[in-house]
Amino acid sequence: MRPLPALRLLAGPALAGGLLVLVVAASATAGDPPATGGSATDAEPAWYAVVQATPTPAIPLESAPPLPTPIAHPGDASATGCVDCHDQVDNKQAAIAEDWRSSIHAKEGVGCADCHGGDPRSDEITVGMAVANGFQGVPGREETVGVCGGCHANAERMRPYQIATDQYSKYFSSVHGQRLLTANDTKVAICIDCHGSHGVKPASDPTADVYPLNVPDLCASCHADAEKMEPYGIPTDQFEVYKLSVHGRQLLDEQDLRAPTCTSCHGSHAAQPPRSDTVVDVCGKCHTATQALYEESAHSRLPAVGPKCWTCHGTHDVTEPDERLFLHEGGVPDYLCATCHSPTDQSLRLELDQFEQESDRRCDTCHHERSVIYSQVEAIAGAIGGAASAYDAALFRIDEAAALGMIVADAEVAAAEAKTGLIRARAAVHTTKLAAISAITKETVDKAAAAEAIANAKLDDNTFRRQAMVVVIAIIALNVLVLMGLRRRLHAPG
Amino acid sequence: MTTDAPTRAPLGGPIGWIENRLHLGPFIGALLHVRVPADAKTFYLGGITLFLFGIQVVTGTLLALYYSPTPDAAYESVLSITSDVQFGWLIRSIHHWTANLMILSLILHVIRIFVQGAYKYPREATWLVGGGLLMLTIGFGFTGYLLPWDQRAYWATVVGTEIAGAVPLIGPPLLLLLRGGPDVTDATLARFFGIHVLVLPLLIGALIAIHLLFVHQQGLANPKRPDPRPGRPGPDLSAEKTKPFFPDYILDELIAWYAVLTALVVLATIFPAGLEAKADPLITPEHIKPEWYFLGVYELLKLVPETVGVVAPIALVLVIVILPLLDRNHEVRPRRRPIAIGLATLLLVGLGVLTVLGGRS
Repeated sequence: MRPLPALRLLAGPALAGGLLVLVVAASATAGDPPATGGSATDAEPAWYAVVQATPTPAIPLESAPPLPTPIAHPGDASATGCVDCHDQVDNKQAAIAEDWRSSIHAKEGVGCADCHGGDPRSDEITVGMAVANGFQGVPGREETVGVCGGCHANAERMRPYQIATDQYSKYFSSVHGQRLLTANDTKVAICIDCHGSHGVKPASDPTADVYPLNVPDLCASCHADAEKMEPYGIPTDQFEVYKLSVHGRQLLDEQDLRAPTCTSCHGSHAAQPPRSDTVVDVCGKCHTATQALYEESAHSRLPAVGPKCWTCHGTHDVTEPDERLFLHEGGVPDYLCATCHSPTDQSLRLELDQFEQESDRRCDTCHHERSVIYSQVEAIAGAIGGAASAYDAALFRIDEAAALGMIVADAEVAAAEAKTGLIRARAAVHTTKLAAISAITKETVDKAAAAEAIANAKLDDNTFRRQAMVVVIAIIALNVLVLMGLRRRLHAPG
Repeated sequence: MTTDAPTRAPLGGPIGWIENRLHLGPFIGALLHVRVPADAKTFYLGGITLFLFGIQVVTGTLLALYYSPTPDAAYESVLSITSDVQFGWLIRSIHHWTANLMILSLILHVIRIFVQGAYKYPREATWLVGGGLLMLTIGFGFTGYLLPWDQRAYWATVVGTEIAGAVPLIGPPLLLLLRGGPDVTDATLARFFGIHVLVLPLLIGALIAIHLLFVHQQGLANPKRPDPRPGRPGPDLSAEKTKPFFPDYILDELIAWYAVLTALVVLATIFPAGLEAKADPLITPEHIKPEWYFLGVYELLKLVPETVGVVAPIALVLVIVILPLLDRNHEVRPRRRPIAIGLATLLLVGLGVLTVLGGRS
C-alpha cells in the first residue's frame, strides 16, 4: 500500500462514548472519500483502513476412524435365501424384502449379507443367520457408517459406477460425523437416515429422499423437529424460512433444479454451516459473476469479520434483492456499537446473529449517517433507484400500450436491454465503486428512456387511431343519413 | 332506311360508351329488376356475408403483397405489416375481424334460413351450395390462422390437424396431407398459404356465383308460406305484396353494410390484431385454444372419447347438409315445426354451452 498523506480519525465520541475506533485514512490525491458529495473515485480505495478483529479459528476436526473391511460372506447376489424366507415371516419383513428388491443395491448385486453377514445361500434360519457363518445382525448406528463406507470408500469397488468414494471421510468431517466421533452421539444423522437402509435409491431418482427437490423435506424431518433439536440448542425454523426464500420458491414451487437445496450450501456428507471465511465461496459457486465483483470491493478486503453475502442477504431467508437493502426507511434505528464491533476491543466484527433480522440488513446499519461512506451509499442507492425507476416507467408505458392492443415487441426488446443494464448495475453494487455503478446506471436510464419513447410513440399512435375512428364513423353516419333520406323519399306516398 | 325495330335513344357518357358496345343493360336489368316478397325477412345476413367476403378479398390481397410464407420470414413479415407498413395494422386488423364476423354472419344466415324453412322446395340445392360455402369459409379461417406463425397460430394448427388426424379410417393420411409431413413445418405453412390464397378463393368464388344465381332464379323465400309446387294446389300469389329488389331492398342492404363496416372499424381500432411470440415447436404453451368457432368441438373432445368427438361434428355437418332430403315437411312457419325447431334449439344451446365451457377452460 502506498503511503497515506493524510489521516483522519472518525471516532466514536458521537457513537456511544467512543467505543468505535474507525480509522479512516484519506488520500488527498486519488481517493477523497465522497463524504462531501464530490465525485467518487473507483481507484484503489486506500482511503480507509479498519481495525479488524482476528477471525475465530476453526476448531480442529477429529480424524475419521480407520475404514472397516467389507463384510465377508459366502455366496453372491444370486443367492436369495434371506429374502425367500423373510418374505414369509410377516408383513414388516416382506416390506423390507420388497424395499431391497426395488433398491439400487439389488440391481447392482449388493445383497443382505453384504451388510448383515451370514450365508444368503440358505433359507434356514439356523444356517443363514448363524453367527458361525458370520451373521452380524443389524449394525449398530455407530457401526453403520463403517458398513456403508466399507464398499463406498473403496475406489476399486466403486469404479464401475463412477461415483465418489469420499463420503466416508467427508461424513466424519461433518457436524454429524464429528458428534458421532467425539460425543458418541448416535442420534445424529447417519447414512441410512438420508438414504434409507433397504430401499436405497440413487440421488438422481426423483422418488429418492436425497433427490435435490426432496432434500429440504428430508433435512427438515430432523431439523424442523423441536424435540430432536432441543439437545443441540439450534433453531428449527430453517425449512419454513427457506420455503419462502427466493431459493426455496425457485426449487420447491418452480421445481427448478438449478436452485440451491440445503446440501448446496451446507454440503451433504460433509454437512456443516458455512463459516464466515467460506460463505463467499459457497454463494459464489452459483453466483460466480457476483463473487468476482464482490472480490473487487473494499468489503472483500476485510477477511472473515467483514461484510459477507449473508450480512446483506441473510441465510435461509434470502429474498430478491432490491433498493430497500441500501438505506433504512424512515431513519436509522439506534444501533449499538456491538452490532458491528467487538464489545471487547471495538474492532470490526460483523457477526451473523447481529443481522438475523431482515430489517437490519441495510448499508446504513454500519455506514451510519455521520460516517464518511454514508454519502457514497446514498449516491449508489440513488443511482440504482433512478435506473430502476426509469425501467419501471418504461415498463408501465409498454404495458399501457400493450393493454391497448399495440404490438410492443420492439419496445420490449429495448426494455430488455435496460433490464440487462439494471441487473448489471445491481450486481456492480457488490464492487462498492460508485463511478463504475453510475456509468452502468446512466446507460440503463438511457436505454429505459429509449424503450419508453417507443412505447409513448405507440400510445400516441393509438390516440390517433381512435381519433381517426371517430372521423370514419362520422363519415359512415353521414352516408347512412343520406341513404335513409333516399329511403324515406322512396317510401313517401305518391 | 326504315326498320320496324324500336329505336333507342343513344346513351352518352362513359356508361353510354360501354352500353353501346356491350349491350349490358338488359342483363343488368334482369339481375336488378326483380321483386322480393314484402314479408321476406333476411336480416341482410347473406348480403352482409358477401360484403365481408369482398373486404377479405381486398385486405387479403394487400396483405399478400407484404407477407412471406416461409417459417423464417412469416412472423417477421406479419410483425412488419403490423408495426412498420403504413396502415398495415388496419388492413390486418380488418382482415382478422372480418374473418370472425364472416363466420358469425354465416352462422346467423344458416339459422335464419333454417327457422324460415327456406331450405325447402325449391331451394334444396341453394342450401347445399350454402353448406359448401360454410365449409370453405371455415377452411379459410383454419388455414389463415396459421399464417402469422406465432405460438398461438402454430399450436392451434398442431391441435387442429391432430383432430383431423383422429378421423376414423382417413385420419392418418388426412393429417399427412394437411401438414405436408408428420409435423407442422414449412411444408404446412406453404400449403396452408397456397390453399388460403389460391384454392379456397377460386372454389368460394365459383360457389358464391352458383349460390347467387340460384337465389336470383328462385327469388327470396316468403317466411309465411311454402313455395307452390307444380301440379299441386297452391296459394293465390296474385295478392301477395312484393317490393322491388332495386332500389328498395338494395338500399336497406347498403345501410346494413354500413352498420357492419362501423362495427369493423371499431373492433379493428379498439382491439387490433395482436401477435404472440414467434412459433417455437420446442415450447408448448400452457393453454392452447382454437378460434371461438372451433371451441365447441374442442370442448366436446375433452368430454367424450376421441372418435366420438371427431365423428359427431362430421355427422352433424352431414345431417345439416342433407337436411332438405331428411325434412319432408312442407311447412315453413316455425310454430308449425316444433320438432325441427326444438332439435335445432337444443343443438344450438348445446354448442353454445360447449363453446362457453371451452372458452373458460
